[in-house]
Amino acid sequence: MTPEPADPAPASARPGAVRAAGLRERIRGPWRVIVAEASMLPAIAPGDWLLVNPTIRRWPKAGSLVVFREPETDELAIKRVYATGGARVPFNGGYIVIREDEAWLTADATREVAEAAGFGPPIDSDRFGPVPVDRLVGNAWFRYGPPGRIGRIDSPPPPR
Amino acid sequence: MTIRRLLVSALTPKTTVRGHCDLPCGVYDPEQARIEAESCYRIVEKYGANEDMGFRTRAIAIKEERADLVKHHLDVLWHDYFKPEHLETVPNLHDLFWQATKQASKVKASTDLADAKRLLELIDEVDAAWKATGGPAKTRVAGRPG
Repeated sequence: MTPEPADPAPASARPGAVRAAGLRERIRGPWRVIVAEASMLPAIAPGDWLLVNPTIRRWPKAGSLVVFREPETDELAIKRVYATGGARVPFNGGYIVIREDEAWLTADATREVAEAAGFGPPIDSDRFGPVPVDRLVGNAWFRYGPPGRIGRIDSPPPPR
Repeated sequence: MTIRRLLVSALTPKTTVRGHCDLPCGVYDPEQARIEAESCYRIVEKYGANEDMGFRTRAIAIKEERADLVKHHLDVLWHDYFKPEHLETVPNLHDLFWQATKQASKVKASTDLADAKRLLELIDEVDAAWKATGGPAKTRVAGRPG
């Protein structure tokens, strides 16, 4: 099963596929964000302050954390890049090929971890499908607060 | 305002990003599946008592729709309400859901009243499992009415 693409036509089929916003727009940020909800536990907890690099215009490599506009809700969300353009992602007994300008984003938390923190199951690409690069906002690269949690953000947990 | 508070408020990000999780309502009751299964039962009864082809065609279409809803409601209970620790109380839980959802598939295709009756019995077993794991108090707003 292939999720419905967010765009009416596949981006790769259009001349000049989907592009990230220009630098002038991107430089406005956000440069730092606060996290709500628990889908990125244990690496990132609700309430964490993160530094974001909003100038990137391509999906960073797998394992990176990205801030993006979530396809279904259009809200700013954070997830981890699982795979980018051209990769095959196992899905529902088969696989999905990720288009050049897309990424497959996953939550770190398992359903059990999110539930233990008082939330429902994490929402990620399993739900909203591959995400086109025009929804990319930035790359979260350092946790600068709250005091006591300052430091590098942990790597992803082992693959599910 | 102290310097410390000024500093904290200056450092606190103004933008929120969501580590988005689903918001489950937490309301579960096998009664929802049972009502759809009772619909199937009654439709099969009415199907047997009416020779009119138009009526029979409608009856089958509606029964298939209701049987599908039974499967949906059972799946929600299985995936969302029941937790691994409930297996201690109900060791045959997975087998029970497998049987019940398979029976719902059978009812979808069958016009035999015995099949519809068997589905009701299996849903009653799911209901017993829901009760044994504290379902009425945990998942209904004020227990099951009545």
